[in-house]
Amino acid sequence: MITEEAFEVLAAQTGLPLSAEQKATLRAVYPTLREMMDLVSRPLPREAEPGHIFVPEVR
Amino acid sequence: MSAIPTIAEAARLIADKKLSPVELTQDCLGRIAKNDSSLNAFLMLTEERALADAKAAEARHMAGTARGPLDGIPIAHKDIYNTAGIRTTAHSKLLEDNVPTKDAVTVTKLAAAGTAMLGKLSTHEFAMGGPSFDLPWPPARNPWNPAHFTAGSSSGTGAAIAAGFILGGTGSDTGGSIRGPAALCGIAGIKPTYGLCSRTGVLPLSFTMDHTGPMAWTVEDCALLLQAMAGHDPSDPGSANRPVPDFSADLSKGAKGLRIGVVRHFFETDHPVSPATQKGIDDALDVYKQLGAEVRDVTLSPMAEYHAAGSIILTSEAYAVHEPWLKTRFNDYGELFRDRIALGGFITAAALFQAIRRRRILTLEVTAAMADLDILVSASQPGEAPKIDEVPKWGNLEKPSLTMPFNLTGFPAMSVCTGFGVGGLPVCMQLIAKPFAEPTLFRAGHAYEAATAWRQMRPAMAG
Repeated sequence: MITEEAFEVLAAQTGLPLSAEQKATLRAVYPTLREMMDLVSRPLPREAEPGHIFVPEVR
Repeated sequence: MSAIPTIAEAARLIADKKLSPVELTQDCLGRIAKNDSSLNAFLMLTEERALADAKAAEARHMAGTARGPLDGIPIAHKDIYNTAGIRTTAHSKLLEDNVPTKDAVTVTKLAAAGTAMLGKLSTHEFAMGGPSFDLPWPPARNPWNPAHFTAGSSSGTGAAIAAGFILGGTGSDTGGSIRGPAALCGIAGIKPTYGLCSRTGVLPLSFTMDHTGPMAWTVEDCALLLQAMAGHDPSDPGSANRPVPDFSADLSKGAKGLRIGVVRHFFETDHPVSPATQKGIDDALDVYKQLGAEVRDVTLSPMAEYHAAGSIILTSEAYAVHEPWLKTRFNDYGELFRDRIALGGFITAAALFQAIRRRRILTLEVTAAMADLDILVSASQPGEAPKIDEVPKWGNLEKPSLTMPFNLTGFPAMSVCTGFGVGGLPVCMQLIAKPFAEPTLFRAGHAYEAATAWRQMRPAMAG
């Protein structure tokens, strides 16, 4: 569980008008989000490009 | 024929002048008047428009100028599809009085095919937050048992089709929002290949994950609806510029020779499904074998990897769409949508880009796995519909989504009913095909439906 102080910093960075109750709700689920961010952030080959390429042509 | 015809059945009867589009539409309106107070499938009923559309269709049929199999078929639209002059709310207080001036491209296409438009259907708020009880309108309920959930977000479309209020309708699918309600309401619903159907005029949730598509009682009906909806749209940057095939062309080919891969670990270990759902899939695989298909297991990366990448991209994109309102009208959203989307503010830029990089790797993985396969089989819901007041707020994160892998990769995927569970509610399987291979997907789904009796069973209220 992320500390209340550390979560306060993240919450402030969002700029959202969160109540204490809303912060508590989001703080409780934040570890699940953190797990997902860690899962996708496992090392990838340097040349692995993102999936949202675009076709450089005028349509 | 059941009392409520399929689109294909109605089209044949109308063409033979044995069924009037006006009477068909009146039948639907009658069922809505009788039962929608317990289902809340419609946010707005456009009865006059529906009857005018039906009368126009009938005139065309009598004059020999009918527009095709959808001419005179009663449909309705999920309330994130813009409809000119008709309120489009996304089931949200934020758009309570929103009246678009222009139809969504797919709405225009379905109207041009001659459909009779009965109104606008319930959705989870902005196609994500539901079931919610703190919005201006109540959530849709399941026609098989109104105490139960429909899944979402195309909740009203699923409920309305199962109850016989309409013969088909539109949905949208960003993480499973067509396939989920199709599954829990016991109908068919397809998320087409990314880019096959225009998104122009449909309220966005996640630009790279949003798909529009049809829902109907049968696979065959989905093929008929998709025929009208699909096609290149220059105004949609994600629209694929390629010819539209005949989606019904392969329906009569059966399953003989189809090569089917079963992603068994998705629904047995990554997100274990109920015994009834498992049995439904196992029985369906037996049906396919009896019909002459080849069936073998395939292994992909753990579903959690697809789910993580998909959820991070979806939540980030949705946050970007909604950020201005989140900062100024935060408490005008329903609690479910608000809290789920607020999480997007906590996703780092690096994590988002790692998710987008992983998206390419996972897409290539599915492409390679399907190199010598026509169809993949998985589950699209873990079991029967739960009670509507027992759906957890964070159910979208607690276990990996069975449908998300194919939003992430853009492959076409469809829910098909495989029977009923111990609670008497539908269970289903998910069929997946290669990109733009919708005719093969419909072929596989139709072969299964034709070989089984599930399409003969309607909710009791549909009478």
